[in-house]
Amino acid sequence: MKLSLAREMLLPALQMISGVVEKRHTMPILANFLLKVINGRLTITGTNMEVEMIASIGGVPVSEGFRTTVPARKLVDIFRALPEDVMVDLELKDNRLDIRAGNSHFTLATLPADHFPSIDAEDDSVTIKIPQKNLKKLIDSVAFGMAQQDVRYYLNGMLFEITQSELKAVATDGHRLALSSLEVTTGIEDVRAIIVPRKGVLELAKLLQDTESLCTVTVGKNHLKASVDSFTFTSKLIDGKFPDYQRVIPKGGDKKVIADRHDLKDVLVRASILSHESIRGIRLFLEPSVLMVSANNPDQEKAEDSLTVEYSGEPLQIGFNVSYLLDVMNAIKEDRIRLTLSSNNNSALIEGEHSSDTLYVVMPMRL
Amino acid sequence: MRKIIHIDADAFYAAVEMRERPELKNLPIAVGGEPGQRGVIATCNYLARQFGVRSAMSSAKALQLCPDLLFIHPRFDLYKRVSRQMQAIFQDYTDAIEPLSLDEAYLDVTHSTCCQGSATRIAEEIRQRVRAETELTVSAGVAPNKFLAKVASEWRKPDGLFVIRPQDVADFVLTLPVGKINGVGKVTAEKMARLDIYTCQDLQQLSLAELVQHFGSYGPTLYGYARGEDTRSVETRHTRKSLSTEHTFVEDIGDRTILHTHLANIYDELLERQARISQSDYRVHKRFVKIKFADFTQTTLEESLHSVTEDWRDLNAYTRLLDQAWARQAKSVRLIGAGVRLRSRLDDTPTEQLRLFD
Repeated sequence: MKLSLAREMLLPALQMISGVVEKRHTMPILANFLLKVINGRLTITGTNMEVEMIASIGGVPVSEGFRTTVPARKLVDIFRALPEDVMVDLELKDNRLDIRAGNSHFTLATLPADHFPSIDAEDDSVTIKIPQKNLKKLIDSVAFGMAQQDVRYYLNGMLFEITQSELKAVATDGHRLALSSLEVTTGIEDVRAIIVPRKGVLELAKLLQDTESLCTVTVGKNHLKASVDSFTFTSKLIDGKFPDYQRVIPKGGDKKVIADRHDLKDVLVRASILSHESIRGIRLFLEPSVLMVSANNPDQEKAEDSLTVEYSGEPLQIGFNVSYLLDVMNAIKEDRIRLTLSSNNNSALIEGEHSSDTLYVVMPMRL
Repeated sequence: MRKIIHIDADAFYAAVEMRERPELKNLPIAVGGEPGQRGVIATCNYLARQFGVRSAMSSAKALQLCPDLLFIHPRFDLYKRVSRQMQAIFQDYTDAIEPLSLDEAYLDVTHSTCCQGSATRIAEEIRQRVRAETELTVSAGVAPNKFLAKVASEWRKPDGLFVIRPQDVADFVLTLPVGKINGVGKVTAEKMARLDIYTCQDLQQLSLAELVQHFGSYGPTLYGYARGEDTRSVETRHTRKSLSTEHTFVEDIGDRTILHTHLANIYDELLERQARISQSDYRVHKRFVKIKFADFTQTTLEESLHSVTEDWRDLNAYTRLLDQAWARQAKSVRLIGAGVRLRSRLDDTPTEQLRLFD
């Protein structure tokens, strides 16, 4: 059983899918790609049992019945190292995969395809179609807020809330929260809320391109499936209750600041150099028209910086983890931001000056 | 409006000695070093004061003023015991006690319910109890802030009580001589005299900017004091700012090697003293040396540790500091000291990231 294709037909798909394959895995076969030919198309699958990504490649002369698994990393490395535009022959021989291209010849070990785990599809699902760029923007605006290996396992992912006319994404690690919503006609009656695990969110974001072409999202009880061009992405969902995010979005903050996002980011970056390496605390001193930022570390070194802002309220001194503020500065794309504060014990609300679909909440630090 | 009491024991060390040894009662006495060893007077009794003897005066000079002056070697353990007795009395009235030394303390009795909350009656009761329990007299000042309370305790000394009521503050400060302000010593007072400033009323004529121009960082404080204002709170927990040891030489020294030998001894003493303070409460962040020259001018030179982990214990570093400080004025030296500046570990990083969800 043999198939031939150009290096460039396979390489992008292999690289995309390799993101799903974990470096450390519980079963040897999870380090492999599943390669199989069905109905004249070659499909390549990578999985970590939680997230699965499948690429389907047509238009290549393929032989039916080709079905095997090979080490993913090695296959990607071989294809990457081969010269451009070279034709590659893949041939299964005695549980080995022979790869020939020009003068190059590789023989890879295989594992039986029957042992490769797959995520089963299910009923009771809803399907919505969204332009890729919109879904990508939604995820990219929020993803940095997800927790990582938190014992509150439901925070290690992104909440998607789907209503009749809206898709909302929320991420929080308990100290800060990011929320963005997207208008989309879903046709569903009730509200669906799902938590997609961190890994799934990050791989899905990689898959999405900055294009108007549609992504088909299918939400079931235990899985989310997304189809983009020749890729099919499936992620298990986190079974847990996401905290009530509405409750922690501050309302009625009376101290409203408008600042240039680039300038504020630069000031924060400079001050952060002398903040405590692990605690990352900085102080903001807000006064009419001026925002002063200071940081000091255990060596008693000190940084001070300031910028002109639009502000006419009461003075306020408040501490933050500078990394949280910088994450927000990087996530917002508008040139100016709106910062709403009330006191040094209450959260800050940060938005783009004109945007109403995305917001960030950051809890202060007592310094 | 706060109610602050300043308690100041009268001629404390001398009074304790006279209580212990009644035969001293009618003699001029001074607690401190003896004149032959270039000692300084810590405290003297009121009889000695009639001769012009004052605390911090050199014993030699005191002896000139009062040839019959009797010098007594201080017994600090005894004074500490008596001081603790007095503190125990204060504690019956408030927890907000800031001891300034063994014989002086601020009490914040704003929230005290004793004596129907009357600060004046609390102060009087404390004075009587101290007299009954220790046979010593203390003077007390009652005022709305620390600055005025301290002025007030001086006002009727010894064995006196003086109250500055909030409504009397404005009038009281008008005639208050600047020399009564805590922090205005001989040098500052002379400088003020050159500016024709003798009372707080005169001081009030200067703007904040002018005060800063003439008196630097002390300017804003003076601006408040001139108006009888002081926002400092009574700091219950005493935090040490520095620790040092020093030696006054019997004869002035002009030889580098000999100075280094003395420094090594002082340094050893500093090591011992630093080891006795709580290492979990304080960390050293600077080293310093002090030199007093034969003409009584003095200089201090300090250096920061490069990092929190650097060990401050380094005799070479102290020797280097001493050489640099001495180079400032190549005169013979009367006194050298070595010390450390301390920082409370509590101030290090008491940070807390607040949470979105409880």
